[in-house]
Amino acid sequence: MQAISALLGRIFGYMCLALSVLVSAETIMRKAFDVSLQGADELGGYTLAVASSLAFSVALIGRNHMRIDLVHFLLPKAAQAMLNWLAIVSIAAFAGLLAWTAYDIVADSIEYHSTAPTPWATPLVYPQSLWYAGLATFAVVSAILAVRATAYLLKGRIEALSIAFSPKASAEQLGEELAAVRSRATEQVGKAAE
Amino acid sequence: MGILEVFIVFFCGLAMLLIGMPIAVVMVGLGVFGGVVMFGAPFINSIGNVVWGVQNENILTAVPLFVLMGEILLRSGVADRMYGALSIWLGRLPGGLLHTNVGCCSLFAATTGSSLATAATIGTVALPALNERGYPKPQALGSLAAGGTLGILIPPSIALLIYGSLTNNSISQLFVAGIIPGMLLTGLFMLYIAAAHAVSGGGRRDVRVPSWEERWRSLGGLIPPLVIFVIVMGSIYFGIATPTESAALGVLTALVFAAVERKLSFAMLHTAFQHTAQLTGMILLIIVGAFILNLTLSLLGVAQLMTKWVVSFDLSLTALLFVMIGFYLILGCFLEVLSIQVATIPIAYPIVTAVNGDPIWFGIFIVLMSEIAMITPPVGMNLYVVQGVRPDGGPISEVMRGTLPFVLIMLVFTILMIAFPEIALWLPRQMKGT
Repeated sequence: MQAISALLGRIFGYMCLALSVLVSAETIMRKAFDVSLQGADELGGYTLAVASSLAFSVALIGRNHMRIDLVHFLLPKAAQAMLNWLAIVSIAAFAGLLAWTAYDIVADSIEYHSTAPTPWATPLVYPQSLWYAGLATFAVVSAILAVRATAYLLKGRIEALSIAFSPKASAEQLGEELAAVRSRATEQVGKAAE
Repeated sequence: MGILEVFIVFFCGLAMLLIGMPIAVVMVGLGVFGGVVMFGAPFINSIGNVVWGVQNENILTAVPLFVLMGEILLRSGVADRMYGALSIWLGRLPGGLLHTNVGCCSLFAATTGSSLATAATIGTVALPALNERGYPKPQALGSLAAGGTLGILIPPSIALLIYGSLTNNSISQLFVAGIIPGMLLTGLFMLYIAAAHAVSGGGRRDVRVPSWEERWRSLGGLIPPLVIFVIVMGSIYFGIATPTESAALGVLTALVFAAVERKLSFAMLHTAFQHTAQLTGMILLIIVGAFILNLTLSLLGVAQLMTKWVVSFDLSLTALLFVMIGFYLILGCFLEVLSIQVATIPIAYPIVTAVNGDPIWFGIFIVLMSEIAMITPPVGMNLYVVQGVRPDGGPISEVMRGTLPFVLIMLVFTILMIAFPEIALWLPRQMKGT
């Protein structure tokens, strides 16, 4: 799962980076030379559609989909486990709904040969297929996790269920951030020593 | 469908949030439930178009780009150097290093957009130094917690982006409207620190006076945030670029600074990508959920219903806003920024605009309320973050006590903004092309 997340994260990142370069170039050329490449904002929309769909999976694997943990950690262990199970199963259901409705959109675009109402008149089937692929990945990833959680629950492995699916407590997030600060600090000390 | 049902559903949603259901799921769950109950299965068919519409929205493309820009500045250590520079310049004011906290937090939070990273970074550097020099603890902790909230007001602000996309308002105007309130609030925080310092006399001044050479050299650390701010906000203010375009320029500028610092590497980039993807995925999924809920709300005419109900009380705009402050204070105790925004804006916005509230002004108001939510217990993320960073492990009540005066300042500031809406509205009116 971590490997999938890393891969999707990189695809996401390079898409954003490429878009930044393109959009910046377009902006500068438009202002400085009055030449417009046209369609940079259209491309921005498609990039977001595809990249954010991939990001859904990355956030899911990293347990980043936000949950309010005010009450959670005060509850008995069994109730926590049930809620954690319910959370991942409900996300899987949401992801399934997204993928299912997205499929209809793509199917319609194919049937009616829909094009974007822009100068490019992009056949919508191309960006929408990639978007659908992202959402389908999200649905599959969340389904696998939901099955795993259900298996834990059925086997009564409540501890394991909570470790894998509990909301990310602020303390945990902070710990990650602090570790990052320290590693930057040691790097700087190391550099100074050189 | 009446007011009672709306309230029942709202509180059901609130209860689901509080037991820890994912925020996005609560939004979409209520939306689909309401839609299917009222309109049957055909409702499901209309969801796809909404989802594509949201995810294909060029304005929202600015979200991942601004997050990426902040991540690059953060992971490359560019933002870390700001504290050193500011402490040299602000350390000699009455209240000393506490000003550095507020100034640095606002600058750091504005460029990185993450209050978690802000508190972690600034707290790690600042708190040991503050303890050493004997600053009063609650004040030191409070200035960090409150300073960290400024980032969602000072542009570029993801919170304002979300408000703009939910209410269909100009992001450029919202960003520009956030500048003066952000600076004024920072100023008020500093005034309070100086005044409190004069009363208590706490904290020795920096014994060593930095030389002018040191001072000039330190300015190098302030160049990146200032350049970023000028490029991003300048291009928006003068109508050169849309927020998405300015975010793209910001990402490239951040890369240049990372390269100058010799921190530009694949490892650094990949870490930044991963964090950006996590945050973007989280935010966008909630927005998608919120838009599906909005579809149901608008099909059912909930906003009109609520607006009619509120208008029937014949409240003035000012009275209404005071009621809202109370409402947001209570809500802010239990929810965090994103859930407050997506849960309340679709209803509160039509009500306020119906009684002639300015849409841009109301965006700043909501963000101020969200800032307060970040530091009001029991759910005030910044309180816990600062508590987690402090080296001495004292009780969290110290953090809360130190933060309270800042909450009061924010409330006073909100009232000032109600009395003088120009605080937020003057600058956007000066913008080119408006």
